Amino acid sequence: MKTIVVGIGNPILGDDGVGIHITRKLQKNKNLSSDITVEEAQTGGMNLLDLIIGFDHAILVDAVSLTGCAHGEINRFDLSDLPTVHSQNPHDVSLSEAISMIEALDDSSVPQNITIIGVNLKQIPREFTETISSEIRACIPQAVDMILSELQSLTKQDNLNVNT
Amino acid sequence: MKTITIDPITRLEGHGKINIFLNDNGNVENAYLQIPELRGFERFSQGRRAEDMPQITSRICGVCPVAHHFASTKALDDAFDVEPPSAAKKLRELMYMGYFIYDHILHFYYLGGPDFVVGPDAPAAKRNVLGVIEKAGVDIGKEVIKHRAFGQRITGILGGKATHPVCGLPGGLSKGLNDDEVKEIKDMVGSCVDFAQFSLKLFDDIVLKNKDYVDLITSDPYQLNTYNMGLVDKNNKVNFYDGLIRVTDQDAREHDKFPVKDYYEKIAERVEEWSYMKFPYLKDIGWNGLSDGKKSGIYRVGPLGRLNASDGMATPLADKEYKQLFETLGGKPVNSTLAFHWARLIELLYATERAKELINDKEITSNHIRNPVGKPCEGFGVTEAARGTLIHHYKLNEKGLVEKANLIVATTNNAGAITMSVRDAAKGMIKNGNVDQGILNKVEMAFRAYDPCFACATHALPGGMPMKIDIYNAEKQKIQTLEQ
Repeated sequence: MKTIVVGIGNPILGDDGVGIHITRKLQKNKNLSSDITVEEAQTGGMNLLDLIIGFDHAILVDAVSLTGCAHGEINRFDLSDLPTVHSQNPHDVSLSEAISMIEALDDSSVPQNITIIGVNLKQIPREFTETISSEIRACIPQAVDMILSELQSLTKQDNLNVNT
Repeated sequence: MKTITIDPITRLEGHGKINIFLNDNGNVENAYLQIPELRGFERFSQGRRAEDMPQITSRICGVCPVAHHFASTKALDDAFDVEPPSAAKKLRELMYMGYFIYDHILHFYYLGGPDFVVGPDAPAAKRNVLGVIEKAGVDIGKEVIKHRAFGQRITGILGGKATHPVCGLPGGLSKGLNDDEVKEIKDMVGSCVDFAQFSLKLFDDIVLKNKDYVDLITSDPYQLNTYNMGLVDKNNKVNFYDGLIRVTDQDAREHDKFPVKDYYEKIAERVEEWSYMKFPYLKDIGWNGLSDGKKSGIYRVGPLGRLNASDGMATPLADKEYKQLFETLGGKPVNSTLAFHWARLIELLYATERAKELINDKEITSNHIRNPVGKPCEGFGVTEAARGTLIHHYKLNEKGLVEKANLIVATTNNAGAITMSVRDAAKGMIKNGNVDQGILNKVEMAFRAYDPCFACATHALPGGMPMKIDIYNAEKQKIQTLEQ
């Protein structure tokens, strides 16, 4: 069973890059088996799909902006929980749409599970900076643990040193 | 007419928000599209090494990193007073064609095309790429994916990395092509030319042979009689990678042609209180409000802007299609916003033909791909991003560090036109206070044609809907919100 964990974000847009900071921390875990691949992506939609094709499971780690959630709250949800089939921005398709398309073409290379670990931001960052805020930085360990738990249940590995 | 002030604190949730203001009769007085602007770029760039800028700025756009990468690299060529060797320019341009190939395929089949292929009145759930596959067939879907991937592979081979290129250097490139790579690219490009022609035929069969669609394209709410702007080569043919900036007027005559370093003398910006957006306009014509016509300095960039601002395409098949577009739609200039989609496909064909010319050029495997740099000072770089003219401007200190950096992105150039198109589409859908539910579709079609850049540097997944319309009555009270 091959699993990929993708940290998604823009490293020059502050907290938007938190996904990448999380996966960089995850990569320091020495107990990840060779069936687990950790990657970074600064893109979405079709490009993101290209990365995860061929894996059995995918865990995507990203900043999210959900109403009703606190700043820094971390949630786990399935891709199918994303609210819209429309493009997430006017010139790229959403990952959901990209996947629907591949499935419509009878292609079975899409991962059977796609999970999202989302760190909630009250506002989508608009200021160029390479620095993550201290509030969001404080979420990184918890996010890493959630990913490790997820990996544990997907791969049945039990030596990942999950802290929670 | 009552003066309307929109509180600029009203922020976007990350995607398109449109405010529509009605007059006393319940008809549209104005509609304003708010595009979130990213801030602090100049401060962020200060003190950075100049040669890092092409990689840093390619992060600004998740969909068109190549455009920023090369506008930045060219600004550094200028700032370091160095002309890259001819082989380096050809390699850069070839990579640029790869970008246009994947970008324009994505836009037509996944984003803009569905409006036509499935139909503008089809339910929203069908107006996406799945609807296109349903209508055009699974095999077409596979070809779309395959050729989009070819475009990405071409830029990946040349750029050193799949999505964010790392090859641009002041004075040239860090990487050339070997014989195996040339062979691989040649095969892919050959297939891309065929696919581009197929796409135009599809457009012809599904759109142009359908009278309702042609009527829609030429209908009033989608006409805008602005000036047009794009890069042209020495024969005034469209060029995406380099050239002079050309502006044509409402009679298709050349109004101006200038090198990018004259941009600030030729273009001014209008700041409106109610928006974060700045509206560029031609200085010599002047600002005449959000209006079109000869007296308004507002212009359009992007596929239709480029075709209007030029005298043709530099490759034979695309040039034939170029002539066909203007013949069909009543001569130059074409003012129909929805014709952007057709122009996009013609550009796709040109990109594939130009890529074929370049990959077969004897110089493409040359090792002479960099010239030594001079002393750092100030530089401008211009390219045509998929959605329009893109400019990078840097001031470097004597150590080669950035002192000042400014970008003018394509969507900024189109700000006035997009706002007017949205307003006109809205006007058709709201009469005497009655809002037609189809308004979201029609308005979305208007701005989707431009393929605008809505802070696509941001990757946080939104929890809300991508587009929202707020409608206000004459007393500035919000009376309705529409979302999808």
